[in-house]
Amino acid sequence: MKTANRISERSHVWVQSATAIVGLIFAVAANAHHSFSVFDMTTEKTIEGDIVEFQWTNPHTWTWVSVRGTDGTLTRWGLEGMSPNFLGRRGWSKNTFKPGDHVKMVIAPLKSGEPGGTLMRATLANGTEVVNFGRPPGAGAVLPPD
Amino acid sequence: MRMGHWVVTALALALPGGVALAQPGQGSAAYAALAKLPEIAGLWEMIFGGGPRGAPPEGPSFTPAYAAKLKSYQEAQARGEIQDSPAANCVPPGMPGVMTQPYPVEILVTPGKITIIAEAYAQWRQIFTDGRKHPDDPDLTYNGHSIGHWEGDTLVVDSVGFTTDTALGGFGMRHSDKMRIVERVKLAAPDRLEIQTSVTDAEALTKPWNSTRVFGRHRDWNLAEYVCQQNNRNFTTEDGKSGINLKYEAQKK
Repeated sequence: MKTANRISERSHVWVQSATAIVGLIFAVAANAHHSFSVFDMTTEKTIEGDIVEFQWTNPHTWTWVSVRGTDGTLTRWGLEGMSPNFLGRRGWSKNTFKPGDHVKMVIAPLKSGEPGGTLMRATLANGTEVVNFGRPPGAGAVLPPD
Repeated sequence: MRMGHWVVTALALALPGGVALAQPGQGSAAYAALAKLPEIAGLWEMIFGGGPRGAPPEGPSFTPAYAAKLKSYQEAQARGEIQDSPAANCVPPGMPGVMTQPYPVEILVTPGKITIIAEAYAQWRQIFTDGRKHPDDPDLTYNGHSIGHWEGDTLVVDSVGFTTDTALGGFGMRHSDKMRIVERVKLAAPDRLEIQTSVTDAEALTKPWNSTRVFGRHRDWNLAEYVCQQNNRNFTTEDGKSGINLKYEAQKK
């Protein structure tokens, strides 16, 4: 029971410290497939729109979102996420985003200014938040000893 | 045939007496012997930041020539010329990076051999525990040639023969074909594996680069497919041009 509390506290802290997670995971994830230097990791940009397609693919998931600009025009954004292997072990599935879902997304945008970036976290229409860089459930069981 | 038999007999006689070698293909006795070993077999994922607490892990100490390679990479990066590594094109990371991915590895222990399947890039490592030595002139590969033996409850793995295509520990960190990696693998708790890794390279490093990684066991996980070419939108070219392809195409069913 005590252990369970500790896990839940740590999970809570983990979710709160989004910036810390990004720094930590990226340091390693950068070795995983590619450098994050194409993204402006110092900026968090929020976009809101409707899911065009959620591609549940390796080496990255790609979420395509149609976003209406202030001038009324629609732009399709492409957002890179962690892989199905990684996310599937952290509560996601290929149905996490479905075409037509209205979502709010926090992203690190591309430095180039093109409509794309890497996904940080998203809020679904029903209020559920999903995090792109998370810990696996049960990871508390293998935390280093205090 | 006759000559073949003679060679086998000679080899058998040449084996050091009293050394119990786990030979492949020895049937149930060889498998029964494995049951006495620490249970390192299973599916593990590295815990990010799970190493020793306190000071952050130390990076490699490069010789002037290799420090210059890193500096040159970093300067080019700062100018925006190079933004990525070959892995962006789905080239596997090789050792030691293949062990530190945000994906699980599965360790299989069989007579004479320990196999590590790394999910990322669908890689495997073979660690021969049948008493053989490294080849005198090994082919240079991404994951190297590995031999292992048990020192008490610690598996000691010695690896050589690495292609210089791979990065050492981070972007722009290179190594020579003289790189040697020794890993000490220990079950620190039933569901916790510690791997102490020591990298030496007479040409690239001024001293051993030591690090400790901690892995958590996941008994309810399975390896998943990882085909990097499925939907890879990252790229890097020979001349250092890198980026992301944002052209939308619907996913193939």
